[in-house]
Amino acid sequence: MDILYGLGHGFGVALQPQNIVWCFLGCFLGTVVGILPGLGPAATIAILMPLTLNMDPAGGIIMLAGIYYGAKYGGSTTSILLNMPGESSSVVSCIDGYQMALKGRAGAALGIAAISSFIAGTVGIVLLTLVAPAVARFALSFSSPEYFALMVFGLSLVVLLSGASLLKGLLALLVGLWLSTVGIDLFTAQSRFTFGRPELLGGLDFVVIAIGVFAIAEIMTTIQNRAEGRLIPVPKGFRNLLPSWEELKASRFAFVNGSITGFVIGVLPGAGSAIASFIAYGIEKAVSKRKEMFGHGAPEGLAAPEGANNADTGGALVPLLTLGIPGGGTTAILLSALILWGVRPGPLMITESPDIFWGLVASMYVGNVVLLLLNLPLVPAFAQLLRVPKWVLFPVIFGLAIIGAYSVSGRIFDVELLAAFGLLGFLMAKLGFPSAPLILGFVLGDAMERALRQSLMMSQGDITSLFQRPISLTLLIGAAIILILPMVGFINRFRVRAISEGA
Amino acid sequence: MKLSSLFAPALAVAVGLAAIPAAQAQFVPNRPLEIAVHAGPGSGNDVFARALISVIEANNLSPVRIQVANKPGGGSTTAAAYVASKAGTSNTLGVFTNIWITDPLVSAEATNPLSSMTPLALVIREPGLIAVKADSPYQTLGDFIEAAKAEPGKLSQSGGSVLARENVLRQLIMMETGADWQFISFPSGGERLAALLGGHVDLMIVEPGEAAEQVRSGAMRVIAAVSEERLPTFPDVPTLTEAGLNVPNLPQIRGIVAPPGMPAEAVAYYSDMIRQATESQQWQDYVSENGFEAAFTTPEETSAFVAEYTEQLAGILEAAGLEIVKR
Amino acid sequence: MRFQTLLRDGDVIAGAALAGLGGFVFVTGSGYAYWSPSGPGPGFFPVWYGGLMIALSLGLIVSRILRGITPGEAIDWPGIGRAMFTWAAFVVATLSMPHVGFVIAFTLFCLVLIKGVFQRPFLQAILASVAITAAFHVIFVILLQVDLPAGPLGV
Repeated sequence: MDILYGLGHGFGVALQPQNIVWCFLGCFLGTVVGILPGLGPAATIAILMPLTLNMDPAGGIIMLAGIYYGAKYGGSTTSILLNMPGESSSVVSCIDGYQMALKGRAGAALGIAAISSFIAGTVGIVLLTLVAPAVARFALSFSSPEYFALMVFGLSLVVLLSGASLLKGLLALLVGLWLSTVGIDLFTAQSRFTFGRPELLGGLDFVVIAIGVFAIAEIMTTIQNRAEGRLIPVPKGFRNLLPSWEELKASRFAFVNGSITGFVIGVLPGAGSAIASFIAYGIEKAVSKRKEMFGHGAPEGLAAPEGANNADTGGALVPLLTLGIPGGGTTAILLSALILWGVRPGPLMITESPDIFWGLVASMYVGNVVLLLLNLPLVPAFAQLLRVPKWVLFPVIFGLAIIGAYSVSGRIFDVELLAAFGLLGFLMAKLGFPSAPLILGFVLGDAMERALRQSLMMSQGDITSLFQRPISLTLLIGAAIILILPMVGFINRFRVRAISEGA
Repeated sequence: MKLSSLFAPALAVAVGLAAIPAAQAQFVPNRPLEIAVHAGPGSGNDVFARALISVIEANNLSPVRIQVANKPGGGSTTAAAYVASKAGTSNTLGVFTNIWITDPLVSAEATNPLSSMTPLALVIREPGLIAVKADSPYQTLGDFIEAAKAEPGKLSQSGGSVLARENVLRQLIMMETGADWQFISFPSGGERLAALLGGHVDLMIVEPGEAAEQVRSGAMRVIAAVSEERLPTFPDVPTLTEAGLNVPNLPQIRGIVAPPGMPAEAVAYYSDMIRQATESQQWQDYVSENGFEAAFTTPEETSAFVAEYTEQLAGILEAAGLEIVKR
Repeated sequence: MRFQTLLRDGDVIAGAALAGLGGFVFVTGSGYAYWSPSGPGPGFFPVWYGGLMIALSLGLIVSRILRGITPGEAIDWPGIGRAMFTWAAFVVATLSMPHVGFVIAFTLFCLVLIKGVFQRPFLQAILASVAITAAFHVIFVILLQVDLPAGPLGV
């Protein structure tokens, strides 16, 4: 009853005309910075923060939060249209999203992404509204052994991401794992694989690798195949620009899966939305009856990670608002904004600043509707982008890629790396190596290594501690099942047949 | 590679010198000023830089716009390299902290120690608080140390890099008392805090601003203050000395550094600008709200401090078993 | 003949390259502490990654041989040439960018791409290159204030 009362109060705040305007403005700015590279949501919020200090705190936080979740909506656009992920959480959306676009279903893909984002984003907030305190306790109970098991579970999904050859998938995964070790080791300050270059001390940046092996490699492959014409067929007619009934029906489980997976993993301060989207994709494929469709434009293969990415927002706000623990870069800056207004996030926030807490929660319901209304009409417009001939589109993609890489740290070294990873991705495509496992290894490798080392320090070297905790044991068993099944030959007869027939 | 790295600074100095005649005796900046920060938006240093800028702007102390340039990566090394690359120019400053001193000590690749640049001013010192979870059995730091002696290596502390003050302080206390506990690194502040509040580690060093809310809500207990004197916001918490420990009080510093070879007029100008900003009421409010200590120093004092502190930290890190590649 | 086909097979080449990389990772990783008093050291994971890389890449070569070597399809050299030309132009643009600035480097890169790879008429290529670069400059540098390398002309 308290919750309903609080939420009602919150809607009273969020539906004040000026707050609707702030919400709209935040969502709009978020969508823009999500689509364009070079200015992420964290930097945008940092720049706008001083301007909001003179505003009413509720209006200010409503706008800044709008930038945060609006950017996640926008992030999938370039993944789908250009195979260019703008941030780590939209990599997985490239896999099936771009394939849908290649088949002339770009509009449908953008529509599915928007709908899935809306559903999962809203479910994430409903869960935030209803179960935040209980879930916060769950987040705190998650220790290093659980994180290790979660990362191992995530890595086991390589089996489902590998395509025709598991061996090649595993090799790509290992290269990604190795790349994640580059830089200063947090535990010992030892520099690893830096080749004497100070630029490598901080490790490689995810955006550089992903844009290289996805977008640049894709351009090179397309240029190799044929130099003329348009990139992708865009069928005429309005109906072809929206998801079909079949596509929506195929995605219905993905909406649920993405919502739950994204929220649960989003709650954990040490995980992040990239992991959530990979795991949602893996679960989706694991339970699917048509696994062979994945990687070839399965709408549910787009809906699941895109949903997880957006449900993650609601999850990430749980530890922030109820414990004062930020989960990542963007929530950290929301925390400092709240502190500048004199609001201290923590267990007392709900009772001491109900206007802000419930106003923010209610505004996110509003914001998700705003984003859907903002994004759905843009779908046909964005889909038309693919009508641009390749000789104009490709220079534009290169330009976006350069800006995305350069703005990571403002140095040309990252653009040089971008070129190197573009070549790597091209060679991998030529030689039949899948690129998704490389990204998977890179995203999870660092966290997996850290969690194991932390666990063993906590247990003084006792490895059995990993198996004595129920959550960690469950996840490790799950990983083992996923890894072992295909080797027995159950999970994917299709692949076995493909191998025996010879490539 | 070798050649270009030799030439680049020389070239930068030459370009810088060529640009100087415009600014003779009286330096006034004519281009937007940039403040490099070694961490992303929302980090402590980023917030600090933006707070300083807003105070400077509120008091009309700068004729030009000031913007933050986030240069994350490799601890401080990316930002330090960026500031060093602006040798001889007068439109770039950087925010430095302890890791600008410790990174070059242990990483051969970090080739821009603070002493090779122009340290301009210390701005604040941050006291630390040693905290345990609210239901922890350790009521005092002495309780914790006794327990850590009884079972060496069983207890643990969450923190960031092994180079950070929290670990340096742990080393000092372990050497002083003979106790032994683990230092477990987590990359983000959120994870460190979650590990303590979840009961997965036993101890943590937090900033006063961060601790205040957790203590008030009953999630955390503070058992000692890492500062010269008791903190006004935590008057009941004993300092390390009062807790019976004879360890030097290692300050966590935030200051402003200028590129190598910045013209003396510009150095004097910026030093004066920072002094005026730190004397303003808004800045003093910011400092006390966050539980910091004001620490303004002149460029000469800053350089002397940096030289001395570098020696001290190098000695401690070496004693802790880290390899010092250069001093 | 059979051995030569083997040497030209993509899987075999990739396997050999990855085995080499694995060897490098393994050897370099062995240079870092494998175990520390408090658990795995910085060398622990690289050693395993490198070792597994060697094992799996040798497995790739073996499985290729067991499947029987068949001459692969003809390699599309002109196409690969086009792709590599594009890549080389990108690298040149990247390396020159700190010296000449984003605007000049990117305009020339667009020109090379549109004229050289897509073989559009010269005038069209020039107009498109200038227009695209100008749009980028206006949107990112002027409107969004994204920091991009500037050359001697200040752009």
